[in-house]
Amino acid sequence: MEKEFTDIPVPTSLYKKIEEKIEGKGLTAVVSYVTKVLEDSLTKELETKGAFSKEEEEKVKDRLKALGYID
Amino acid sequence: MDKKVLVIGLDCATAEVVFDRKEELPVLNELIENSVYGNLRSSDPPITIPAWMVMCTGKDPGKLGLYGFRHRKNFSYKDIWIATSYSVREKTVWDVIGENGGYNCLVSVPPSYPPKPVKGDLISCFITPGDDKDYTFPAELRVELEENFGPYVFDVEFRTDEKDTLLERIYDMTEKRFRVLNHLITKKPWDFFMFVEIGVDRVHHAFWKYMDKSHHLYVEGNPYENVIVDYYKRLDGLIGELLSNVGKDTTILVVSDHGAKRMKGAFCINEWLIEQGDLVVKEIPTSPVSFDKVEVDWSRSKAWGWGGYYARIFLNVAEREAQGVVKIEDYKRERDALIERVSGIKGPNGEAWDTKIIKPQRYYQELNGDYPDLMIYFDDLYWRSAGTLGHGTKYLLENDTGPDDAVHAQDGIYILYDPKNKSSVRKDANILDIAPTILHRMGLAVPGDMRGNIIAKG
Repeated sequence: MEKEFTDIPVPTSLYKKIEEKIEGKGLTAVVSYVTKVLEDSLTKELETKGAFSKEEEEKVKDRLKALGYID
Repeated sequence: MDKKVLVIGLDCATAEVVFDRKEELPVLNELIENSVYGNLRSSDPPITIPAWMVMCTGKDPGKLGLYGFRHRKNFSYKDIWIATSYSVREKTVWDVIGENGGYNCLVSVPPSYPPKPVKGDLISCFITPGDDKDYTFPAELRVELEENFGPYVFDVEFRTDEKDTLLERIYDMTEKRFRVLNHLITKKPWDFFMFVEIGVDRVHHAFWKYMDKSHHLYVEGNPYENVIVDYYKRLDGLIGELLSNVGKDTTILVVSDHGAKRMKGAFCINEWLIEQGDLVVKEIPTSPVSFDKVEVDWSRSKAWGWGGYYARIFLNVAEREAQGVVKIEDYKRERDALIERVSGIKGPNGEAWDTKIIKPQRYYQELNGDYPDLMIYFDDLYWRSAGTLGHGTKYLLENDTGPDDAVHAQDGIYILYDPKNKSSVRKDANILDIAPTILHRMGLAVPGDMRGNIIAKG
């Protein structure tokens, strides 16, 4: 079975800054914070790139027209 | 987490079948007889997007900035953007549940493409461009599903006259989806499980005129009269099988995002605006054509419209639109005059219409995104809107883009089954009440910015 978490090393100095920022001690609190920051950053990057390529957007528009949602 | 909630989402499921014919649906009937249940007033607009996200965030379309599947890009005349999962910026119930340590399993809740990270598992919905895209979170889930069940079937195209083939496809899609659901519900860790079955909506749009005696195209004794109810019966059986795989302490919530009713026709909003002098085109088309293919004289046009299950109207405002003509100081007067004229639109035989008009700036507490200047429900949504031109008439008795017999009704349904409190209570609710109710049932605090109420405390 695949592991739920991987091991990504983080500089100790950065770890301490995060602990200070979230006023929480311990690995669990830092992991939660870092996970959230990475997820938000990844989503923003993907948003900038856009959900669809030009071709995909046309395909989805045609489908939505066929479904009556748009004309 | 020690509480579990299963949300059975049936897109477009309607009281006319679920409640009025519940004796024919033993599983749903059993739930109804032991639940708080009733009509569920949908969002404005009552469309799949944004209604499911209104339901799952507890925020209305104005707050979400979502008014349908497509939106204008800022104040462009023709450029649009399509709503995707990225367009949903408010927290969903599964975000809150995940933050509190709970696991989620989400299947095809629109819009869920591209698949966003979630604490748990997610399969995207019918706006996925193709099954060659990554459509799950985690990405590896797709491999697992395809190895066991083959390619995931997101949707069917219902605008066809080949009804028998279509019906086979709808059943095939639904049966496959429930095989996937049973797999996930038994194999994955979850505290919150939600799916949306789109087949109900598709079977309504394709077969409503065969069932509804008041539909103007209904024919007595037609061979498809029982198709819709038979589909619900099969769905009822599939729900029963799914429930047999769920713990007895699970709260069950059956919901729909909106209901269905007969379509009386399509009103050609742009044909009307041309007739009224609000919209000027370089050449009137002589055969049906999409509005975005028509050359508009923007320097002489005050307004134009979009089609769909409801109409959006945009004013051509100076210094807002590139060639705007309506001065900003005249905006309210022009808009209100237009409302007056739209209110007076009658049916093809002079019959009065019960048209509803929404001014977004007045209607929503907070207004975000690319909202229209007016939202119109012609004859209370009985007449859909057609933005296409070149029909030579304002009234189409059949849809302009292919066979479609039904429109959306503003009331969907809900059935809230609490295994610890089995009593049958009829109580109508609002789609904004679902998110607070789910969080309450999960034992979580309801965020203060969710406007709805908890339907029944447990």
